[in-house]
Amino acid sequence: MNNNKVSQALLLAGGIALFSTSAAWAASCCGGGSASSLLLPKFSKAMSDASLDIEQYDGFWNRDGDHTPDPPGSDLNQYRLNLGYAYRFAPRWQGSITVPYIWNENNYAGLKSGTNGLGDTTVSVWYENFDGIQCVWKVKSIEDLKPAAYFGATLTIPTGVSPYDDVGNSFDITGRGFYRLDGTILLDKTVYPWNASLLLSYGTYFKRSVNREYGNYVEPYDRSLGDRMLATASLGYTQFLESMSTLTYTASFSDLRENEGKIDSHRDPASGFRKRSIAATVAFATLDRDWVIKFSWSHALRGDGWGENFPVTDVYTVGVSHVYR
Amino acid sequence: MFIASKLLLLLGLTLLLAGCGDTFDDLNPSGKDRRPAVDQNVPGPHVGQNAADFTLTNTLGESVNLATELSNARGVVLYFNMWCPICDAHMSHMRSYVMPDFPEVKFLLVDYVSGSVDRSRSAQLSNGYAALNVLVDTDEAVLNQFNATMGTTVVIDSSGIVRMNEDYKDGSKLYDTLEALP
Repeated sequence: MNNNKVSQALLLAGGIALFSTSAAWAASCCGGGSASSLLLPKFSKAMSDASLDIEQYDGFWNRDGDHTPDPPGSDLNQYRLNLGYAYRFAPRWQGSITVPYIWNENNYAGLKSGTNGLGDTTVSVWYENFDGIQCVWKVKSIEDLKPAAYFGATLTIPTGVSPYDDVGNSFDITGRGFYRLDGTILLDKTVYPWNASLLLSYGTYFKRSVNREYGNYVEPYDRSLGDRMLATASLGYTQFLESMSTLTYTASFSDLRENEGKIDSHRDPASGFRKRSIAATVAFATLDRDWVIKFSWSHALRGDGWGENFPVTDVYTVGVSHVYR
Repeated sequence: MFIASKLLLLLGLTLLLAGCGDTFDDLNPSGKDRRPAVDQNVPGPHVGQNAADFTLTNTLGESVNLATELSNARGVVLYFNMWCPICDAHMSHMRSYVMPDFPEVKFLLVDYVSGSVDRSRSAQLSNGYAALNVLVDTDEAVLNQFNATMGTTVVIDSSGIVRMNEDYKDGSKLYDTLEALP
């Protein structure tokens, strides 16, 4: 086939996928955070993280929110290897970087294709609004209910290959092609064995010029994507094993939406989306919490009305983190 | 910390290599017009060139010929479609905001992925475009003829000259092109 096809359908999905690559749980304890960010536990120096996402596609929601199946015989998959590193450079400040590498394996209506390449990189800075351990075993005063609060800024760098790069084939696409700046607030509270967190994020893309699409030079124009909002609420339970290592079970609900973008000064009718999903995670942490192994499953709710203008996917993630004290 | 430093160095080198490769256009976007000059009035897919004639079967099993369609219309619009979210957004927009204003223009959706009339018809119905004329480009001949990809929109005037060949984007270029048809 002329391979200018399927990964274009995955392009929007790539955007959300790249967002989710930052899903790296630190030692989920006392400021480590159980939300979807590469965050260092309090008092630790650095952390490295590696995870593998397997994302499987199952149709899409159209603009009316109706679920539409893929053509018969379709099997669309994306695999992402995410390498992350976080470093504490002050008692309340930390930074992190995550670089994904992406493989697309698609069989669309019987037509097979595949590609791979670097995805979009994210660089984050976080400020922690607390100095001590915020996890408690028992609530003795109102002070014990105070959550750990994180304030983050994340820059997405378009290191992936987008439709606006020198690509003759859209199967080479592994990124959206835009810089984006996100501001995030994460509130995290643990009263053993329970944990709850709330993540709110708002992102804005930087407008860019475009003079090439899929390898063909076009009449230059400016393109911008709409602002992005994400809210994730999660609830976790920690089980202490005999060895005092832990298993933490977390369930979460996410609502992601992106406003419509613009082409020059006109509304872009193909842009803007919404996706709501649930996720379940099991994380094993060693006694000293220096190693964390995690498995998660993120499931987009397939029914009509749970999303708009976006592919419906399941994401399976396995990852490991190591904390340097 | 030594391992951590090495990891950081590795990530830096990865970014550097990425910056030197295919991602350069994204890291440093350009607005320069770099379109190559194109010979006009010769056969070809570009604006100003003559579209080669073709015949495809539509999802109703009817034969559709470009020259025949042009003979009784101000022009023909080809939209290259793969039944994906972006295609759906484009087609929905085109159906609502463009097609009603140009009844004397033929709008043809070109399905280049389904591979058969039956599968294409099934996709057409499940996506809610039963009323549109969908051509089945089973061997991608027309796709290749116009150097097209998903979302490519081609306008051909009644004399067979290509007036537009680019992504649908927001539909405004299509609208302006159709308004300017002779």
